[in-house]
Amino acid sequence: MQEFLQQVVSGLAVGGIFASLALALVLIYNAMGLVNFAQGEMAMLATFVAYALVNRGMSYWIAFPVALVLAFGGGIVIQRIVIRPVERAPILTLVIITLGLATLLNGLAGFVFGYVPRSFPSPFSAQSADVLGVFVSYRDLGVIAMCGLVLLAVYLLLQRTTVGLTMRAAAHHPEASRLLGVQVSWMLGLGWGLASAVGAVSGIMVAPILLLEPNMMQSIIIYAFAAAVLGGIESPLGAVVGGLVVGVTINLAGAYLPFVGGDLQLAVGLAIIIAVLIIRPNGLFGRAAVRRV
Amino acid sequence: MTALLELDGVHAGYGPTSVLHGVSLSVPAGGVVALLGANGAGKTTTLRAITGGVRWNGDIRFDGRSLRRMSTEEIVRRGIAHVPEGRGICTELTVDENLKLGSHLRHDGAEVRKDYDRVFEYFPLLKERRRLSASTLSGGEQQMLALARALLMKPRLMLLDEPSLGLAPIVVRSIFQIIRSINEASGVAVLLVEQNARIALDLSSTAYVLEVGRVAVHGDSAELQGNESVRRSYLGY
Repeated sequence: MQEFLQQVVSGLAVGGIFASLALALVLIYNAMGLVNFAQGEMAMLATFVAYALVNRGMSYWIAFPVALVLAFGGGIVIQRIVIRPVERAPILTLVIITLGLATLLNGLAGFVFGYVPRSFPSPFSAQSADVLGVFVSYRDLGVIAMCGLVLLAVYLLLQRTTVGLTMRAAAHHPEASRLLGVQVSWMLGLGWGLASAVGAVSGIMVAPILLLEPNMMQSIIIYAFAAAVLGGIESPLGAVVGGLVVGVTINLAGAYLPFVGGDLQLAVGLAIIIAVLIIRPNGLFGRAAVRRV
Repeated sequence: MTALLELDGVHAGYGPTSVLHGVSLSVPAGGVVALLGANGAGKTTTLRAITGGVRWNGDIRFDGRSLRRMSTEEIVRRGIAHVPEGRGICTELTVDENLKLGSHLRHDGAEVRKDYDRVFEYFPLLKERRRLSASTLSGGEQQMLALARALLMKPRLMLLDEPSLGLAPIVVRSIFQIIRSINEASGVAVLLVEQNARIALDLSSTAYVLEVGRVAVHGDSAELQGNESVRRSYLGY
């Protein structure tokens, strides 16, 4: 029982990481009906920025928010320069562009920082705390807390502020929003910035576990897809719940299913995607697609 | 009365299809003008041209300034509230959030609160349903929400695209009554697009009848209503 609970807690920690990246995917999907395949690489690049800042002697707790702000700005720049000119293109064009962007950012990171995996600092102690007889590591608790804070901040921004309201309106009803004076194109830019910053959190949280290198996010993005699909691809809450469920599931599968172990966890993530698409294509929180004909 | 909105030989269309072939009309400050005509005559396109939703040639002036090359957002911020075809309600949001979108650009907090009170006087039902999703409202209630939201923008001109569409006659009457009181109480000018010519002529002081992208007849609403040949050939009643 105790070991089970420990597995659940560390599952929640990786789940928080998946949830952050999944939320980034959902934010952009909601804004333009597009799955951003470059989301993981954007997070990876932001993590390298944080790494460079820490390496130059900046304290982790300053480098972390600075990297998020830079990621936010970078997201807006990408939307303005890469996405905006092709905003009205068919969705397949956009998908290919985000794939190209992913390759470009991956190569850029490799060119600047090299492909040698680097250890990334964690601000949390590697020791464990005894919580009601269950040993949980401070690292897991720290990751859960950080992801929780970020997700809460995004929720408050979207639900409780005027900017959040206009962002939601612009995402769902661009034409009607324009007639109300909402600057729809800038709201899309803000959406990309926000998604980029939220995704960066997942990169910075996962880097101490996986070691930092340009391909670091390539498995994480699969789990994030699984989480987003499980949550219903357009539901922010669904992305978070989906992330936690996927995190706990792959952790328990790795611990208790001998044939899965550490090697086949990614396959579990892919199996979740396939299972959801077959059994419940609208996910846990998605609405059934209704089309008038 | 000086003209608040003037259209001068406006041509507009979608891609290679042109819909408007030189439409000229004017709306006086504080006036109510009806824009009538059959399906496909270009009524909706005229409204869309005014708020920059479709490319146009000619000239459109609001308050003496040309709206040429202005984006929809800029035009709207100058004081034009456009309730589009289909009402433009954000069904993903609550009633309250829809109303907030109407007032989100305003900084006169005290005035905004007064306007909310006024809006809830016109539409008490919206106050009861503030927290509900706008998708739960009926067609008539959504039309009320759209009007309330437009009013909260504190516009000088409202463009209303077929407010009667799909509504029961009794609901239509009450909505037109409210449009009349809004116009009388706050002096906001109204350009009203309608298929229902009778009720639109009752409300308006001037009317234009569009036929295939051109103004076929225009004049005093009461006169048009009394002119049997105009009524028969253009208004169909």
